[in-house]
Amino acid sequence: MSVTTLPDAPGTGTPPGRGRRPSRLDALRRAPHAGLTAVLVVVVVATMLRTDAFATDTNLINILRQVSVTAVIAAGLTLLMTAGGMDFSMGSNVSVTTALGAQLLSHGHSTVVTVVVTIALATMIGLVNGLVVTFTHVAPFVVTLATATLLDGVALLVLDSVSVSIGTRMFPLGNGDVLGVPYLLILAVLVLAATALVMRFTVFGRDAYAIGGNEHVARLSGIDVTARKLTLYALTGALSGLAGLMLLSRLGSSSPGTGGLTLQLTAVAAVVIGGTSLAGGHGTVTGTVLGVVLLGVVANALNLLQVSSNYQPVSVGGVLLVAAIANEFHKSRSARN
Amino acid sequence: MTTLTDQDTQGGPAVTPRNPTPAAAGADTARGPVLRVRGVGKSFGGAAALTDVDLDLYPGEVHALMGMNGAGKSTLVQILSGVHQADAGTVEVDGQAQPALTVRRARKLGIAFVPQRRELATDLSVAENVLLGDLPTRHGAVRWRQLKSEARRALSGLGIDIDVERTAGSLTVAEQTMVEVAREVRRGGRILVLDEPTACLSAEAAHQIRRLVRTLRDEGVAVVYISHYIDEVTAVADRITVLRDGAVVRSAPAAELGPAALVRAMVGRDIVSRRSERPAPRDEIGLAVRDLSDGRAVRGFDVQVRKGEIVAVLGPAGDAQSRLFDLLSGRRRPDTGELLVDGAPVPFGRVDASLAGGLRCVTGDRRALGLVPGMSLDENLLLAGDRLARRRLHRRGELTRRARPLRRRYGVVSLAGNPPVSALSGGNQQKVLLAKWLGTGPVACFLEDPTNGVDIAAMADIHTLVDELAGRGVAVLLASSSAEEVMRLADRVIVVSAGRTVAEHDVTAITRDELVATALGGQPQ
Repeated sequence: MSVTTLPDAPGTGTPPGRGRRPSRLDALRRAPHAGLTAVLVVVVVATMLRTDAFATDTNLINILRQVSVTAVIAAGLTLLMTAGGMDFSMGSNVSVTTALGAQLLSHGHSTVVTVVVTIALATMIGLVNGLVVTFTHVAPFVVTLATATLLDGVALLVLDSVSVSIGTRMFPLGNGDVLGVPYLLILAVLVLAATALVMRFTVFGRDAYAIGGNEHVARLSGIDVTARKLTLYALTGALSGLAGLMLLSRLGSSSPGTGGLTLQLTAVAAVVIGGTSLAGGHGTVTGTVLGVVLLGVVANALNLLQVSSNYQPVSVGGVLLVAAIANEFHKSRSARN
Repeated sequence: MTTLTDQDTQGGPAVTPRNPTPAAAGADTARGPVLRVRGVGKSFGGAAALTDVDLDLYPGEVHALMGMNGAGKSTLVQILSGVHQADAGTVEVDGQAQPALTVRRARKLGIAFVPQRRELATDLSVAENVLLGDLPTRHGAVRWRQLKSEARRALSGLGIDIDVERTAGSLTVAEQTMVEVAREVRRGGRILVLDEPTACLSAEAAHQIRRLVRTLRDEGVAVVYISHYIDEVTAVADRITVLRDGAVVRSAPAAELGPAALVRAMVGRDIVSRRSERPAPRDEIGLAVRDLSDGRAVRGFDVQVRKGEIVAVLGPAGDAQSRLFDLLSGRRRPDTGELLVDGAPVPFGRVDASLAGGLRCVTGDRRALGLVPGMSLDENLLLAGDRLARRRLHRRGELTRRARPLRRRYGVVSLAGNPPVSALSGGNQQKVLLAKWLGTGPVACFLEDPTNGVDIAAMADIHTLVDELAGRGVAVLLASSSAEEVMRLADRVIVVSAGRTVAEHDVTAITRDELVATALGGQPQ
């Protein structure tokens, strides 16, 4: 019986994957975040071709300053989502923090007191989320969606529905820089770097992967899952507080609608674009950084190209969709090899 | 690999008879094979998964496919069902070459695959599941009465007695398999591939499945039957094809292949499965369970295991074993009971207390409770050990260094580097699971079905590991559903049925057949 080569089996006998020689392009394609990086490069190049205003020092620094707040939230969310959790109330936590911070400062409390009180409150909010999630087993998405709505209302109550200015208090933090690098950016980079180090080099970080990958196995392996989850939710709360203060210092005031759902959705989008699994078990800070920067660049490009602001959500949604599809392609491609 | 006899090598791919005559009386040889595979080869990323495989399926024949994990059974089946395309060779259905077999095309041709993990819509009724994708409707509304009667007809045609109004989620695993088979047959499946349909089933449920397989054969369906169980295959199959390292090493009527020949064909060597000499157990009690009761699953369970002793709990799969795992590991609090490890009381319901006491519980369900699939092999190996050692930092290089002796000692084979644990074969995953726990210096161990779903070579390795464990002076409580395993490993055996202890024996004072009779009878003799 002769062996017949099927017409659709190209290069029978060439060993590697589906009959092709592994090229450098293949290696590049399989590199982590290849799809996302490609999308980012395309957006940057396209923008640079259309306008000279993009690739200037001031504009690039401006972009990074603008994404700093999102980045801090996204960092916490990356760790939490990797552990299979979800906090949909971080944006609203920011609203409460900025509102409370603005009221405290405008009533003459010192910056130190303000920082301590607001971050403590934000941490408490996170912890409460964590307690409800761990002890009632209600889905984290539902719990934090409820608290998000609740906190939005609390923020309005704290502000009494008017804008509260803090004058020039905290102005240096929001607008100052050292050697041209904004303080906000430095803070964001520190938070991201710390998160990345924790996730990669500490058992606490690996516990997050284990819990997100299979919570039963994590518990049976001697990980105190409840304590870990509480810590993670408290941490996302604390980071929301920090992000709130950063936002307050940049804006110089807190108004109804500061933070809230828009900020939350941008952060979630950035994390998901970065390849962190909604189901838990997978996640990288590098991906999140790329996601945050991509969204910041897109928003900035639309501004520079004087596209109507109504197109902003359209483009963010589009980018999210494209990046998510690219991630999925990349995943199934590497899974087959 | 050198112990192959002449008889074995004759069955090699080069000289496989090209037109084998099926042994089954009912097989319809006059019309020729319904499916003919010739010279099929497939490689993934340079590694050959299949080379030059021939296979003939006749209507009304049960064709067993055997081989160790990684021998190429899954790849072959995936080519038949259109998931993968062959690199070389031909697949013919009814004499027509099928060069571009896709999943859809394969289904259209009547090739149906029933996977090991059943795929029913658990919230829908049995009737809906049987007719899924083809619900009878009038003006877009489902005609429930017709739906039920058609489902009933589809089930009873195969001698299946299941109420079609039950939800699929309430079915036992065996019943789910039956419903899935009925669905495929109703859709026109005439080449049915069953992937380990009796894995993890009790003897009675496995018997029902085998009866269904015989009905299918009598109805003229060509059945491809994948199984690790040699007794079962020789009982149910008309013809057996054995794969090893991606090639057919033996293809013959079942009557011509005895158990020993099958093992040799699959493994390439003789497997020694004799009791090994272990040092006598010490006089200290390592693990004691007193009057443990939890609902109807475990009722008044008592056991004392000395250090260095292996005591088996034998019962049908899914009886008390998995509940014992939940209780001893601290996942679940029992109604009553006492637990002592190394003489010290250990509170129930706390995983940390159970671990701190020196008790290690190894689950029989490694997918759900044993391993983190997305994590690497090495990280899974050290997942528990690192937490027990209260490590704070994690470094990959150092992790790999510490994992290396564990891999070697527990015989974990990995092709390259440190892949995700989900990429390993079942046998290797099971060894990772054992290494994860047994490498952490246990005082006492509870092992639940440690050889569940692994091939015979891995099974022999695992038995040796359990022997060594007891040899080191660990008290081992072994839950098993296999009398062979109990005879091979245990010093004493406790037979349970419906959660109750029905007999207790010294293993050396009972034969295998007596043990099986006790287990089946559910009554002490």
